[in-house]
Amino acid sequence: MNNFLKKIIQFILKWLAKIYLWRTRPYVVIIAGTTSRHWIKEAIIKELKNKGLNSRGNRKNFNAEIGLPLSILNLPSGEGSFSSWLKIILQAIKLITNYQLPITNYLILEMAIDRPEDMNYLLSIVRPNIAILTTITMIYRENFENLSEIALEYRKLVRALPKDGLLLLNFDDQRMRDLAKFASCRVLTCGLSDGADYQAKNIKKITAGQQFEIKGVPVKINRFGNHHVYAKIAAYAIRSEKI
Amino acid sequence: MFSRTQNINLSPIKQIELLASKIPDVVSLAQGIPSFDTPEVVKKAAFKALSRGAVAKYSLTYGLPELRETIEQKLAEEEMFYDFEKEIIVTAGSIEAITASLIAIIEPRKNEVILFSPSYTSYAEVVKVSGGKPIFSNLIESNGWRIDFNDLKKKVNSKTAAILFCNPNNPTGTIFPKEDLLKIAELSGKKNFFILSDEVYKDFIYPSPFADKNLVEANLFDSQFAKGEGFFSLAQIPELRKKVIRIFSLSKAYAMTGWRIGFLHSDEENIKEILKIHDSLVTCAPVISQYAAMGALDYGEDDLNKFRHEFNERLNLMCNHLDELKDFFDYQKPIGSYFVFPEILPAAYKALGAKQGDSWDFALKLLEKAKVAVVPGVAFGPSGENHFRISFGRDEKDINEAMERIKKYMQ
Repeated sequence: MNNFLKKIIQFILKWLAKIYLWRTRPYVVIIAGTTSRHWIKEAIIKELKNKGLNSRGNRKNFNAEIGLPLSILNLPSGEGSFSSWLKIILQAIKLITNYQLPITNYLILEMAIDRPEDMNYLLSIVRPNIAILTTITMIYRENFENLSEIALEYRKLVRALPKDGLLLLNFDDQRMRDLAKFASCRVLTCGLSDGADYQAKNIKKITAGQQFEIKGVPVKINRFGNHHVYAKIAAYAIRSEKI
Repeated sequence: MFSRTQNINLSPIKQIELLASKIPDVVSLAQGIPSFDTPEVVKKAAFKALSRGAVAKYSLTYGLPELRETIEQKLAEEEMFYDFEKEIIVTAGSIEAITASLIAIIEPRKNEVILFSPSYTSYAEVVKVSGGKPIFSNLIESNGWRIDFNDLKKKVNSKTAAILFCNPNNPTGTIFPKEDLLKIAELSGKKNFFILSDEVYKDFIYPSPFADKNLVEANLFDSQFAKGEGFFSLAQIPELRKKVIRIFSLSKAYAMTGWRIGFLHSDEENIKEILKIHDSLVTCAPVISQYAAMGALDYGEDDLNKFRHEFNERLNLMCNHLDELKDFFDYQKPIGSYFVFPEILPAAYKALGAKQGDSWDFALKLLEKAKVAVVPGVAFGPSGENHFRISFGRDEKDINEAMERIKKYMQ
């Protein structure tokens, strides 16, 4: 599929997603940062399901300019086939014009940026009620000069939060912590270090996963690795504070 | 000179392929290569990485973090929970994963590695390359090529470093049921050895979801599939994390044999030791292939389903041909992989003028006379003798041509 067609599909999907959001008005949680987005998204959806709340997240890793609207519309990708894309667009039109449009109360969306200005485009599709920022690393560094330039993109997300929104920052990443000053809404932090509002303490690896404490409450997860501890703290914080 | 390599043989599959390459017009059903080209989504991921200059440098020895994170996600979908940062290594195919693992775990006084017979030809050589001694334990053909635990228990001793098996098994195409795998785990706990589970064919299990459910139940007798439990791996059990090293390759599932890309996972205690060997052997897996693997794991599912469906059709085609040759070959319909492992009956040896009971001679005569390359059963271990392995990974045209040629000599 050539770039011209890609641009047209991108444009159509953007507007279809915007109409979908306008009609359904879900509560939107956006997770950004270079690591751990997927795990945080999964952990939040799990928490919401446990509370019996209707939620969904990105399909696969659909989290950029074409994937994000597809995730919002809950539709698959047409990959390289023009006819598949045509079917998907028709499906999307049918969906948004449906009189009894199925409602999703909570959309938990990963947002991925690949180059400067990506965030502006993604925010032109969807605005957050809550933003969670994980880390700034050089994993996808090719199109950025340095880490500070990546941080500038996340600053745009922070500024897009409404006054009654919530910003949850990774306390263990100084660049993310520094973004707190750009928020006009409430800011909370989570992490493993002392000083975080939601801190995981006494982390122990056990046979079937990890156990730790958040605000004195014992927690067990069946996953291994610090990224799952972060995911659990973020989900715990969101559940406790907002949802 | 070459004292280390004196007892190591070139894989019989490669030997047959070498011989076949010298004969014009040979149809080869010897190598386990899918006939398909790598899916477009995979190529696209590789092109994209190449064009943005991301593939020229080494990756981390563990592999690209984003690929390992994708692998962790895929494993979690199959109820296997491993930390992508410390418990997954991206390797140059499964054979490098097996070699690195064996070199890490074989010790001078604990150097025996149990292999099932029949099982993949290169295992024995890899064990020897890694400084170990292969010990064969026979599978029971009359019991659907299941494990002979009486024999296995006799073979396990204080020198046993590991058991290495392929599940679904190459060449028999059978799957070890959950109850048998749990017995291996129990034995490993008692005798303190590692379990290396090579699950390269786990995506090719038949009948596929496209097929009749009754057929599934009929074929899988008492295995977990009939109960709807699906494919089972010992790596799903948290208590076995320190014992089990699971290996997977993208070669077969995503038609990527030439890309040399796979991965292994285990508890971090094991991984940190295997990593040292992996680093010494290859530094890191080919970076362009790592990006391609990301494309495969993220977007290759439709292609994988197409391949599975096509292999199922080819399996039925192959079985139809073999059914017409029932006086010459006896076979069990495989459940997984893309191989059939028929027994060679006396009439087949006679028809080709091959020495009775000698599968090497049978394979050579078949190559010479019918110009069809297959792998002699003895290459897969002593109990593989009197059989041959035939692949239905090739396309329908090759399968028909090869089987018609064989039929011509079996009249």
